[in-house]
Amino acid sequence: MSTPDEPLSYEAATARLEAIIKRLDSGEAGLRETLELCKEGRTLVELCAAELEAVGQGLEELHLDELVARLEAGAGQS
Amino acid sequence: MAQRLPTPAGIDGSRLPGPYGVGHYAARLRDYLRERSRVQLFGEVWNLRVSRVKVYFELRDADGALPCSIWRTDFDALRLGEGALADGSQVVVGGGLDYYVGSRTSSPAFSFAVAGLRVAGEGDLLAQLDRLRKALDAEGLFEPQKRLVLPALPRTIGVVTGEGGKARDDVLAGLHRRGWSGRLVWAFAPVQDRHAAPAITRAVQDLAATGEVDVIVVARGGGSLADLFCFCDETLCRTIALLGVPVIASVGHHTDRTLIDDVAALSCSTPTHAAESAVAVHCAQARQELLLIGRRLGVHGRRAAVARPAVVAAARRLGVHGRRALLQRAQTLARLSRAPGEHVARERARLHQDLREMRASGRRRLAGERARIARRALVLDRKARSAALEARRAPGLQALAMALAAHDPARTLERGYVLVTDRADEPVTTAAAARAAGAVSLRFGDAAVDATITGDDEHT
Repeated sequence: MSTPDEPLSYEAATARLEAIIKRLDSGEAGLRETLELCKEGRTLVELCAAELEAVGQGLEELHLDELVARLEAGAGQS
Repeated sequence: MAQRLPTPAGIDGSRLPGPYGVGHYAARLRDYLRERSRVQLFGEVWNLRVSRVKVYFELRDADGALPCSIWRTDFDALRLGEGALADGSQVVVGGGLDYYVGSRTSSPAFSFAVAGLRVAGEGDLLAQLDRLRKALDAEGLFEPQKRLVLPALPRTIGVVTGEGGKARDDVLAGLHRRGWSGRLVWAFAPVQDRHAAPAITRAVQDLAATGEVDVIVVARGGGSLADLFCFCDETLCRTIALLGVPVIASVGHHTDRTLIDDVAALSCSTPTHAAESAVAVHCAQARQELLLIGRRLGVHGRRAAVARPAVVAAARRLGVHGRRALLQRAQTLARLSRAPGEHVARERARLHQDLREMRASGRRRLAGERARIARRALVLDRKARSAALEARRAPGLQALAMALAAHDPARTLERGYVLVTDRADEPVTTAAAARAAGAVSLRFGDAAVDATITGDDEHT
Protein backbone atom coordinates (compact mmCIF):
# COMPACT_ATOMS: atom_id res chain seq x y z
CA MET A 1 0.00 0.00 0.00
CA SER A 2 1.17 3.50 -0.64
CA THR A 3 1.41 6.22 1.93
CA PRO A 4 0.95 9.95 1.39
CA ASP A 5 4.75 10.31 1.63
CA GLU A 6 5.26 7.82 -1.17
CA PRO A 7 3.07 8.69 -4.15
CA LEU A 8 1.67 5.83 -6.18
CA SER A 9 3.88 4.91 -9.15
CA TYR A 10 2.44 5.00 -12.66
CA GLU A 11 2.51 1.21 -12.96
CA ALA A 12 0.89 0.76 -9.55
CA ALA A 13 -1.82 3.26 -10.50
CA THR A 14 -2.53 1.56 -13.84
CA ALA A 15 -2.58 -1.86 -12.17
CA ARG A 16 -5.12 -0.60 -9.63
CA LEU A 17 -7.16 0.98 -12.43
CA GLU A 18 -7.28 -2.34 -14.26
CA ALA A 19 -8.46 -4.06 -11.09
CA ILE A 20 -11.14 -1.40 -10.59
CA ILE A 21 -12.44 -1.71 -14.16
CA LYS A 22 -12.46 -5.51 -13.85
CA ARG A 23 -14.45 -5.28 -10.63
CA LEU A 24 -16.93 -2.80 -12.10
CA ASP A 25 -17.36 -4.85 -15.28
CA SER A 26 -18.03 -7.97 -13.23
CA GLY A 27 -21.25 -6.32 -12.04
CA GLU A 28 -20.68 -7.78 -8.60
CA ALA A 29 -19.97 -4.47 -6.92
CA GLY A 30 -22.85 -2.97 -4.98
CA LEU A 31 -23.99 0.63 -5.39
CA ARG A 32 -21.86 2.01 -2.57
CA GLU A 33 -18.77 0.11 -3.79
CA THR A 34 -19.38 1.20 -7.41
CA LEU A 35 -19.52 4.86 -6.40
CA GLU A 36 -16.38 4.51 -4.29
CA LEU A 37 -14.51 2.66 -7.07
CA CYS A 38 -15.50 5.31 -9.62
CA LYS A 39 -14.22 8.02 -7.31
CA GLU A 40 -10.92 6.22 -6.71
CA GLY A 41 -10.64 5.45 -10.44
CA ARG A 42 -11.05 9.11 -11.41
CA THR A 43 -8.30 10.08 -8.99
CA LEU A 44 -6.00 7.43 -10.48
CA VAL A 45 -6.79 8.48 -14.06
CA GLU A 46 -5.84 12.04 -13.12
CA LEU A 47 -2.61 10.80 -11.55
CA CYS A 48 -1.66 8.75 -14.64
CA ALA A 49 -2.62 11.59 -16.96
CA ALA A 50 -0.37 13.92 -14.99
CA GLU A 51 2.53 11.43 -15.27
CA LEU A 52 2.03 11.10 -19.03
CA GLU A 53 1.75 14.87 -19.31
CA ALA A 54 5.09 15.22 -17.52
CA VAL A 55 6.89 13.19 -20.21
CA GLY A 56 4.97 14.67 -23.13
CA GLN A 57 6.11 18.27 -22.95
CA GLY A 58 9.00 17.89 -25.40
CA LEU A 59 12.35 16.20 -24.91
CA GLU A 60 14.71 18.10 -22.63
CA GLU A 61 18.31 17.10 -23.22
CA LEU A 62 21.02 18.22 -20.86
CA HIS A 63 24.48 17.17 -19.90
CA LEU A 64 25.19 15.68 -16.50
CA ASP A 65 27.32 18.71 -15.62
CA GLU A 66 24.41 21.04 -16.41
CA LEU A 67 22.08 19.03 -14.21
CA VAL A 68 24.58 19.05 -11.36
CA ALA A 69 25.09 22.83 -11.76
CA ARG A 70 21.35 23.38 -11.81
CA LEU A 71 20.90 21.27 -8.67
CA GLU A 72 23.69 23.09 -6.91
CA ALA A 73 22.19 26.45 -7.87
CA GLY A 74 18.81 25.26 -6.59
CA ALA A 75 20.38 24.08 -3.34
CA GLY A 76 22.13 27.44 -2.96
CA GLN A 77 18.87 29.35 -3.37
CA SER A 78 16.95 27.34 -0.83
CA MET B 1 48.84 -1.79 -67.09
CA ALA B 2 48.52 1.39 -65.14
CA GLN B 3 50.57 4.21 -66.54
CA ARG B 4 53.57 5.15 -64.43
CA LEU B 5 53.64 8.72 -63.15
CA PRO B 6 56.63 10.84 -64.24
CA THR B 7 59.14 11.25 -61.36
CA PRO B 8 58.62 14.67 -59.71
CA ALA B 9 61.28 16.87 -58.19
CA GLY B 10 62.30 16.17 -54.60
CA ILE B 11 61.66 18.32 -51.47
CA ASP B 12 63.73 21.42 -51.42
CA GLY B 13 66.68 21.10 -49.10
CA SER B 14 66.14 17.42 -48.40
CA ARG B 15 69.19 15.20 -48.31
CA LEU B 16 67.23 11.97 -48.45
CA PRO B 17 67.55 9.87 -51.61
CA GLY B 18 64.68 9.66 -54.02
CA PRO B 19 61.93 10.30 -54.73
CA TYR B 20 61.14 6.66 -55.70
CA GLY B 21 57.86 5.25 -56.90
CA VAL B 22 55.92 3.98 -53.85
CA GLY B 23 54.99 0.69 -55.47
CA HIS B 24 58.63 -0.03 -56.11
CA TYR B 25 59.48 0.79 -52.50
CA ALA B 26 56.56 -1.32 -51.16
CA ALA B 27 57.75 -4.29 -53.19
CA ARG B 28 61.22 -3.86 -51.74
CA LEU B 29 59.75 -3.66 -48.24
CA ARG B 30 57.75 -6.87 -48.87
CA ASP B 31 60.92 -8.63 -50.04
CA TYR B 32 62.79 -7.35 -47.02
CA LEU B 33 60.13 -8.55 -44.57
CA ARG B 34 59.87 -11.91 -46.26
CA GLU B 35 63.60 -12.40 -45.70
CA ARG B 36 63.13 -12.13 -41.91
CA SER B 37 63.40 -15.36 -39.93
CA ARG B 38 60.31 -17.51 -39.81
CA VAL B 39 59.25 -18.11 -36.19
CA GLN B 40 56.58 -19.46 -33.87
CA LEU B 41 54.63 -16.95 -31.77
CA PHE B 42 51.99 -17.35 -29.07
CA GLY B 43 49.29 -15.05 -27.83
CA GLU B 44 45.53 -14.54 -27.79
CA VAL B 45 43.38 -14.30 -30.84
CA TRP B 46 41.23 -11.16 -31.08
CA ASN B 47 39.09 -9.64 -33.81
CA LEU B 48 38.86 -12.84 -35.78
CA ARG B 49 37.43 -12.15 -39.25
CA VAL B 50 36.87 -14.84 -41.84
CA SER B 51 36.75 -13.69 -45.48
CA ARG B 52 36.45 -15.67 -48.71
CA VAL B 53 40.18 -16.04 -49.31
CA LYS B 54 41.83 -15.18 -46.03
CA VAL B 55 41.23 -15.33 -42.29
CA TYR B 56 42.41 -12.29 -40.32
CA PHE B 57 43.00 -11.86 -36.62
CA GLU B 58 45.21 -10.06 -34.14
CA LEU B 59 47.59 -11.89 -31.89
CA ARG B 60 47.81 -10.07 -28.57
CA ASP B 61 49.40 -10.31 -25.19
CA ALA B 62 50.00 -7.80 -22.40
CA ASP B 63 53.05 -6.30 -24.16
CA GLY B 64 51.87 -5.89 -27.70
CA ALA B 65 50.00 -7.18 -30.72
CA LEU B 66 50.57 -8.26 -34.33
CA PRO B 67 48.09 -8.47 -37.20
CA CYS B 68 47.96 -12.00 -38.61
CA SER B 69 46.45 -13.62 -41.66
CA ILE B 70 46.15 -17.15 -42.95
CA TRP B 71 44.99 -18.37 -46.34
CA ARG B 72 41.41 -19.65 -46.09
CA THR B 73 42.46 -22.98 -47.66
CA ASP B 74 45.18 -23.44 -45.00
CA PHE B 75 42.76 -22.40 -42.25
CA ASP B 76 40.09 -24.89 -43.42
CA ALA B 77 42.77 -27.60 -43.61
CA LEU B 78 43.35 -27.18 -39.86
CA ARG B 79 39.86 -28.64 -39.37
CA LEU B 80 39.27 -26.67 -36.19
CA GLY B 81 35.85 -27.37 -34.71
CA GLU B 82 33.09 -24.78 -34.67
CA GLY B 83 33.97 -22.10 -32.15
CA ALA B 84 37.37 -23.61 -31.33
CA LEU B 85 39.02 -20.42 -32.50
CA ALA B 86 37.33 -17.35 -31.10
CA ASP B 87 38.22 -14.05 -29.53
CA GLY B 88 40.37 -14.79 -26.51
CA SER B 89 41.61 -18.16 -27.71
CA GLN B 90 45.24 -18.76 -26.93
CA VAL B 91 47.14 -20.03 -29.96
CA VAL B 92 50.61 -20.81 -31.20
CA VAL B 93 51.20 -19.72 -34.80
CA GLY B 94 54.10 -20.49 -37.12
CA GLY B 95 55.05 -18.30 -40.11
CA GLY B 96 56.79 -15.13 -41.13
CA LEU B 97 56.31 -11.45 -41.86
CA ASP B 98 54.64 -10.46 -45.08
CA TYR B 99 53.44 -7.30 -46.73
CA TYR B 100 50.67 -6.89 -49.24
CA VAL B 101 51.83 -4.01 -51.36
CA GLY B 102 48.35 -3.00 -52.51
CA SER B 103 47.78 -0.86 -55.59
CA ARG B 104 46.19 2.37 -56.74
CA THR B 105 42.77 0.76 -56.04
CA SER B 106 43.51 -1.45 -53.00
CA SER B 107 44.92 -0.77 -49.55
CA PRO B 108 48.25 -2.21 -48.48
CA ALA B 109 48.37 -4.50 -45.47
CA PHE B 110 51.06 -5.69 -43.14
CA SER B 111 50.60 -9.03 -41.48
CA PHE B 112 52.28 -12.03 -40.02
CA ALA B 113 51.55 -14.74 -42.55
CA VAL B 114 50.48 -17.78 -40.60
CA ALA B 115 51.41 -21.10 -42.14
CA GLY B 116 50.59 -23.29 -39.14
CA LEU B 117 48.38 -22.82 -36.08
CA ARG B 118 47.62 -24.72 -32.87
CA VAL B 119 44.94 -23.77 -30.34
CA ALA B 120 46.71 -23.72 -26.97
CA GLY B 121 43.76 -23.13 -24.70
CA GLU B 122 41.37 -20.53 -23.48
CA GLY B 123 42.77 -17.06 -23.49
CA ASP B 124 43.98 -15.37 -20.34
CA LEU B 125 41.44 -12.57 -20.73
CA LEU B 126 38.52 -14.97 -20.99
CA ALA B 127 39.85 -17.06 -18.10
CA GLN B 128 40.22 -13.90 -16.06
CA LEU B 129 36.71 -12.82 -17.03
CA ASP B 130 35.36 -16.22 -16.06
CA ARG B 131 37.04 -16.10 -12.65
CA LEU B 132 35.67 -12.61 -11.99
CA ARG B 133 32.18 -13.60 -13.10
CA LYS B 134 32.17 -16.55 -10.73
CA ALA B 135 33.49 -14.40 -7.87
CA LEU B 136 30.83 -11.70 -8.35
CA ASP B 137 28.13 -14.32 -8.69
CA ALA B 138 29.30 -16.04 -5.49
CA GLU B 139 29.04 -12.71 -3.68
CA GLY B 140 25.46 -12.40 -4.92
CA LEU B 141 26.23 -9.24 -6.88
CA PHE B 142 24.13 -10.27 -9.88
CA GLU B 143 20.98 -9.97 -7.77
CA PRO B 144 20.66 -6.46 -6.22
CA GLN B 145 19.94 -4.69 -9.52
CA LYS B 146 17.37 -7.32 -10.50
CA ARG B 147 15.48 -6.54 -7.31
CA LEU B 148 15.14 -2.85 -8.20
CA VAL B 149 11.86 -1.89 -9.81
CA LEU B 150 12.23 -0.51 -13.32
CA PRO B 151 9.76 2.38 -13.51
CA ALA B 152 7.29 1.98 -16.36
CA LEU B 153 7.26 5.71 -17.03
CA PRO B 154 10.47 7.42 -15.87
CA ARG B 155 10.52 11.21 -15.82
CA THR B 156 14.30 11.47 -16.10
CA ILE B 157 16.60 9.02 -17.88
CA GLY B 158 20.40 9.07 -17.58
CA VAL B 159 22.47 7.76 -20.48
CA VAL B 160 26.16 6.84 -20.34
CA THR B 161 27.65 6.49 -23.80
CA GLY B 162 30.39 7.70 -26.14
CA GLU B 163 29.87 11.28 -27.18
CA GLY B 164 30.26 10.74 -30.89
CA GLY B 165 28.98 7.19 -31.08
CA LYS B 166 26.03 5.88 -33.03
CA ALA B 167 24.60 4.60 -29.74
CA ARG B 168 23.50 8.13 -28.90
CA ASP B 169 21.24 8.34 -31.93
CA ASP B 170 19.94 4.84 -31.31
CA VAL B 171 18.90 5.78 -27.76
CA LEU B 172 17.08 8.86 -29.06
CA ALA B 173 15.36 6.75 -31.73
CA GLY B 174 14.19 4.26 -29.11
CA LEU B 175 12.77 6.98 -26.87
CA HIS B 176 11.08 8.65 -29.84
CA ARG B 177 9.48 5.34 -30.75
CA ARG B 178 7.95 5.22 -27.24
CA GLY B 179 6.60 8.73 -27.65
CA TRP B 180 8.58 9.69 -24.57
CA SER B 181 9.79 13.26 -24.29
CA GLY B 182 10.86 13.74 -20.70
CA ARG B 183 14.23 14.83 -19.38
CA LEU B 184 17.32 13.11 -20.78
CA VAL B 185 20.65 13.50 -19.00
CA TRP B 186 23.73 12.62 -21.03
CA ALA B 187 26.90 11.47 -19.28
CA PHE B 188 29.50 11.03 -21.97
CA ALA B 189 32.49 8.76 -21.40
CA PRO B 190 35.05 6.94 -23.53
CA VAL B 191 33.75 3.45 -24.12
CA GLN B 192 36.75 1.58 -25.49
CA ASP B 193 40.24 2.30 -24.20
CA ARG B 194 41.84 1.72 -20.85
CA HIS B 195 40.45 4.99 -19.50
CA ALA B 196 36.94 3.85 -20.27
CA ALA B 197 36.11 1.76 -17.21
CA PRO B 198 36.94 4.41 -14.57
CA ALA B 199 35.16 7.11 -16.61
CA ILE B 200 32.01 4.99 -17.05
CA THR B 201 32.07 4.11 -13.33
CA ARG B 202 32.26 7.79 -12.42
CA ALA B 203 29.49 8.74 -14.86
CA VAL B 204 27.14 6.10 -13.46
CA GLN B 205 27.91 7.14 -9.88
CA ASP B 206 27.42 10.84 -10.63
CA LEU B 207 24.10 10.25 -12.41
CA ALA B 208 22.79 8.26 -9.45
CA ALA B 209 24.11 10.83 -6.99
CA THR B 210 21.94 13.60 -8.49
CA GLY B 211 18.90 11.76 -7.13
CA GLU B 212 17.01 12.99 -10.20
CA VAL B 213 17.50 10.04 -12.48
CA ASP B 214 14.91 7.21 -12.47
CA VAL B 215 16.88 4.81 -14.68
CA ILE B 216 20.35 4.72 -16.27
CA VAL B 217 21.14 3.32 -19.70
CA VAL B 218 24.77 2.33 -20.40
CA ALA B 219 25.07 2.02 -24.17
CA ARG B 220 27.73 1.27 -26.70
CA GLY B 221 27.60 0.13 -30.30
CA GLY B 222 28.96 -3.26 -31.35
CA GLY B 223 32.57 -4.33 -31.07
CA SER B 224 34.80 -7.25 -30.31
CA LEU B 225 35.01 -8.60 -26.79
CA ALA B 226 38.45 -7.00 -26.53
CA ASP B 227 36.93 -3.61 -27.32
CA LEU B 228 34.19 -4.17 -24.80
CA PHE B 229 36.51 -5.40 -22.11
CA CYS B 230 36.11 -2.16 -20.16
CA PHE B 231 32.54 -3.28 -19.45
CA CYS B 232 33.97 -6.27 -17.61
CA ASP B 233 35.88 -4.05 -15.22
CA GLU B 234 35.54 -5.24 -11.65
CA THR B 235 35.14 -1.81 -10.05
CA LEU B 236 32.53 -0.76 -12.62
CA CYS B 237 30.56 -3.96 -12.13
CA ARG B 238 30.67 -3.76 -8.33
CA THR B 239 29.57 -0.11 -8.47
CA ILE B 240 26.60 -0.89 -10.70
CA ALA B 241 25.64 -3.95 -8.65
CA LEU B 242 25.26 -1.82 -5.52
CA LEU B 243 23.71 1.22 -7.21
CA GLY B 244 20.28 2.31 -6.01
CA VAL B 245 19.15 3.27 -9.51
CA PRO B 246 18.32 0.50 -12.02
CA VAL B 247 20.83 0.20 -14.85
CA ILE B 248 19.99 -1.09 -18.33
CA ALA B 249 23.10 -2.31 -20.14
CA SER B 250 23.45 -2.37 -23.87
CA VAL B 251 27.01 -2.91 -24.99
CA GLY B 252 26.07 -4.50 -28.27
CA HIS B 253 27.81 -7.84 -28.42
CA HIS B 254 26.00 -10.80 -29.80
CA THR B 255 28.15 -13.73 -28.83
CA ASP B 256 29.76 -12.84 -25.52
CA ARG B 257 28.28 -11.46 -22.38
CA THR B 258 30.23 -8.76 -20.66
CA LEU B 259 30.07 -8.63 -16.87
CA ILE B 260 27.95 -5.47 -16.94
CA ASP B 261 25.26 -7.56 -18.65
CA ASP B 262 25.26 -9.86 -15.62
CA VAL B 263 25.12 -7.22 -12.89
CA ALA B 264 22.70 -4.80 -14.57
CA ALA B 265 18.97 -4.83 -13.90
CA LEU B 266 18.41 -5.58 -17.57
CA SER B 267 20.65 -6.42 -20.54
CA CYS B 268 19.61 -5.45 -24.04
CA SER B 269 21.14 -6.27 -27.40
CA THR B 270 20.96 -2.76 -28.86
CA PRO B 271 20.86 0.82 -27.52
CA THR B 272 17.48 1.28 -29.23
CA HIS B 273 16.11 -1.72 -27.40
CA ALA B 274 17.62 -0.42 -24.14
CA ALA B 275 15.86 2.93 -24.57
CA GLU B 276 12.57 1.17 -25.28
CA SER B 277 13.05 -0.96 -22.19
CA ALA B 278 13.71 2.15 -20.10
CA VAL B 279 10.22 3.39 -21.04
CA ALA B 280 7.95 0.34 -20.86
CA VAL B 281 4.89 2.46 -21.63
CA HIS B 282 4.01 3.50 -25.14
CA CYS B 283 3.02 7.03 -24.20
CA ALA B 284 0.54 7.83 -26.99
CA GLN B 285 -1.13 4.46 -26.59
CA ALA B 286 -1.27 4.91 -22.81
CA ARG B 287 -2.97 8.29 -23.22
CA GLN B 288 -5.57 6.68 -25.47
CA GLU B 289 -6.14 3.83 -23.02
CA LEU B 290 -6.45 6.26 -20.13
CA LEU B 291 -9.11 8.14 -22.04
CA LEU B 292 -11.05 4.90 -22.53
CA ILE B 293 -10.71 3.99 -18.86
CA GLY B 294 -11.95 7.44 -17.88
CA ARG B 295 -14.94 6.97 -20.18
CA ARG B 296 -15.75 3.55 -18.73
CA LEU B 297 -15.51 4.92 -15.20
CA GLY B 298 -17.89 7.66 -16.27
CA VAL B 299 -20.38 5.09 -17.59
CA HIS B 300 -20.22 3.10 -14.36
CA GLY B 301 -20.47 6.26 -12.30
CA ARG B 302 -23.52 7.52 -14.20
CA ARG B 303 -25.16 4.12 -13.99
CA ALA B 304 -24.61 4.15 -10.25
CA ALA B 305 -25.95 7.72 -9.98
CA VAL B 306 -29.08 6.72 -11.91
CA ALA B 307 -29.40 3.67 -9.71
CA ARG B 308 -29.29 5.77 -6.56
CA PRO B 309 -32.93 7.17 -6.66
CA ALA B 310 -34.17 3.75 -7.70
CA VAL B 311 -32.36 2.30 -4.74
CA VAL B 312 -33.85 4.90 -2.42
CA ALA B 313 -37.30 3.94 -3.72
CA ALA B 314 -36.39 0.29 -3.32
CA ALA B 315 -35.23 1.03 0.20
CA ARG B 316 -38.56 2.71 0.91
CA ARG B 317 -40.40 -0.27 -0.51
CA LEU B 318 -38.20 -2.49 1.57
CA GLY B 319 -39.20 -0.39 4.61
CA VAL B 320 -42.87 -0.94 3.83
CA HIS B 321 -42.23 -4.62 3.32
CA GLY B 322 -40.31 -4.65 6.53
CA ARG B 323 -43.09 -3.06 8.51
CA ARG B 324 -45.60 -5.42 6.95
CA ALA B 325 -43.40 -8.35 7.76
CA LEU B 326 -42.99 -7.08 11.30
CA LEU B 327 -46.76 -6.78 11.73
CA GLN B 328 -47.29 -10.23 10.33
CA ARG B 329 -44.73 -11.61 12.63
CA ALA B 330 -46.28 -9.87 15.64
CA GLN B 331 -49.62 -11.27 14.66
CA THR B 332 -48.17 -14.74 14.34
CA LEU B 333 -46.49 -14.38 17.70
CA ALA B 334 -49.71 -13.18 19.31
CA ARG B 335 -51.52 -16.08 17.73
CA LEU B 336 -48.88 -18.43 18.99
CA SER B 337 -49.04 -16.90 22.46
CA ARG B 338 -52.79 -17.42 22.48
CA ALA B 339 -52.48 -20.96 21.25
CA PRO B 340 -51.90 -22.69 24.62
CA GLY B 341 -55.02 -21.01 26.09
CA GLU B 342 -57.03 -21.90 23.03
CA HIS B 343 -55.69 -25.41 23.14
CA VAL B 344 -56.74 -25.75 26.76
CA ALA B 345 -60.17 -24.34 25.93
CA ARG B 346 -60.50 -26.72 23.02
CA GLU B 347 -59.45 -29.62 25.20
CA ARG B 348 -61.92 -28.49 27.83
CA ALA B 349 -64.75 -28.37 25.29
CA ARG B 350 -63.72 -31.76 23.96
CA LEU B 351 -63.72 -33.22 27.46
CA HIS B 352 -67.11 -31.69 28.13
CA GLN B 353 -68.37 -33.20 24.95
CA ASP B 354 -66.90 -36.58 25.95
CA LEU B 355 -68.50 -36.21 29.32
CA ARG B 356 -71.84 -35.38 27.81
CA GLU B 357 -71.56 -38.30 25.45
CA MET B 358 -70.59 -40.57 28.33
CA ARG B 359 -73.52 -39.28 30.34
CA ALA B 360 -75.88 -39.77 27.45
CA SER B 361 -74.43 -43.19 26.90
CA GLY B 362 -74.76 -43.90 30.63
CA ARG B 363 -78.36 -42.71 30.56
CA ARG B 364 -79.09 -44.81 27.53
CA ARG B 365 -77.50 -47.83 29.12
CA LEU B 366 -79.23 -47.14 32.45
CA ALA B 367 -82.55 -46.66 30.73
CA GLY B 368 -81.95 -49.85 28.78
CA GLU B 369 -80.95 -51.66 31.91
CA ARG B 370 -83.94 -50.27 33.75
CA ALA B 371 -86.28 -51.37 30.99
CA ARG B 372 -84.60 -54.72 30.82
CA ILE B 373 -84.80 -55.05 34.60
CA ALA B 374 -88.37 -53.86 34.56
CA ARG B 375 -89.17 -56.45 31.95
CA ARG B 376 -87.34 -59.05 33.88
CA ALA B 377 -89.06 -57.81 37.07
CA LEU B 378 -92.39 -58.03 35.33
CA VAL B 379 -91.53 -61.46 34.06
CA LEU B 380 -90.19 -62.40 37.43
CA ASP B 381 -93.12 -60.78 39.18
CA ARG B 382 -95.39 -62.82 37.08
CA LYS B 383 -93.25 -65.75 37.70
CA ALA B 384 -93.19 -64.84 41.37
CA ARG B 385 -96.85 -64.59 41.50
CA SER B 386 -97.25 -67.82 39.69
CA ALA B 387 -94.48 -69.13 41.87
CA ALA B 388 -96.31 -67.90 44.93
CA LEU B 389 -99.18 -69.77 43.64
CA GLU B 390 -96.93 -72.61 43.12
CA ALA B 391 -95.29 -71.96 46.50
CA ARG B 392 -98.20 -73.01 48.02
CA ARG B 393 -97.63 -75.97 46.03
CA ALA B 394 -93.82 -75.78 46.17
CA PRO B 395 -91.83 -73.77 48.80
CA GLY B 396 -88.76 -73.36 46.38
CA LEU B 397 -90.33 -70.32 44.66
CA GLN B 398 -89.93 -68.12 47.70
CA ALA B 399 -86.20 -68.51 47.53
CA LEU B 400 -86.20 -67.46 43.89
CA ALA B 401 -88.24 -64.34 44.65
CA MET B 402 -85.77 -63.34 47.31
CA ALA B 403 -82.88 -63.74 44.96
CA LEU B 404 -84.68 -61.59 42.44
CA ALA B 405 -85.38 -58.90 44.98
CA ALA B 406 -81.72 -58.74 45.77
CA HIS B 407 -81.13 -57.37 42.17
CA ASP B 408 -83.71 -54.60 42.53
CA PRO B 409 -82.06 -51.18 42.90
CA ALA B 410 -84.77 -50.25 45.28
CA ARG B 411 -83.41 -52.88 47.47
CA THR B 412 -80.01 -51.25 47.50
CA LEU B 413 -81.59 -47.96 48.57
CA GLU B 414 -83.39 -49.78 51.21
CA ARG B 415 -80.04 -50.87 52.50
CA GLY B 416 -79.11 -47.18 53.09
CA TYR B 417 -77.44 -46.22 49.75
CA VAL B 418 -78.44 -42.97 48.05
CA LEU B 419 -78.93 -42.36 44.31
CA VAL B 420 -77.96 -38.84 43.26
CA THR B 421 -79.64 -37.39 40.18
CA ASP B 422 -79.51 -34.02 38.54
CA ARG B 423 -82.41 -31.91 37.44
CA ALA B 424 -82.84 -34.00 34.37
CA ASP B 425 -83.07 -36.98 36.62
CA GLU B 426 -79.81 -38.30 35.32
CA PRO B 427 -77.66 -40.12 37.85
CA VAL B 428 -74.77 -38.11 39.18
CA THR B 429 -71.92 -40.47 39.78
CA THR B 430 -68.92 -38.24 40.46
CA ALA B 431 -68.11 -35.33 42.70
CA ALA B 432 -67.14 -33.26 39.68
CA ALA B 433 -70.48 -33.96 38.04
CA ALA B 434 -72.19 -33.05 41.27
CA ARG B 435 -70.30 -29.73 41.42
CA ALA B 436 -71.12 -29.15 37.80
CA ALA B 437 -74.79 -29.91 38.31
CA GLY B 438 -75.03 -27.58 41.32
CA ALA B 439 -78.54 -28.73 42.34
CA VAL B 440 -79.19 -32.43 42.71
CA SER B 441 -81.81 -34.77 43.97
CA LEU B 442 -80.98 -37.40 46.61
CA ARG B 443 -83.06 -40.46 46.34
CA PHE B 444 -83.22 -42.42 49.56
CA GLY B 445 -84.96 -45.68 50.04
CA ASP B 446 -88.10 -44.01 51.25
CA ALA B 447 -88.18 -40.73 49.29
CA ALA B 448 -86.15 -38.14 47.35
CA VAL B 449 -84.91 -34.76 48.67
CA ASP B 450 -83.40 -31.84 46.71
CA ALA B 451 -79.92 -30.71 47.64
CA THR B 452 -77.48 -27.93 46.55
CA ILE B 453 -73.81 -28.58 46.10
CA THR B 454 -71.77 -25.87 47.82
CA GLY B 455 -67.97 -25.36 48.04
CA ASP B 456 -65.23 -26.63 45.73
CA ASP B 457 -63.29 -28.52 48.33
CA GLU B 458 -62.53 -32.02 47.47
CA HIS B 459 -62.77 -34.62 50.21
CA THR B 460 -61.34 -37.96 49.89
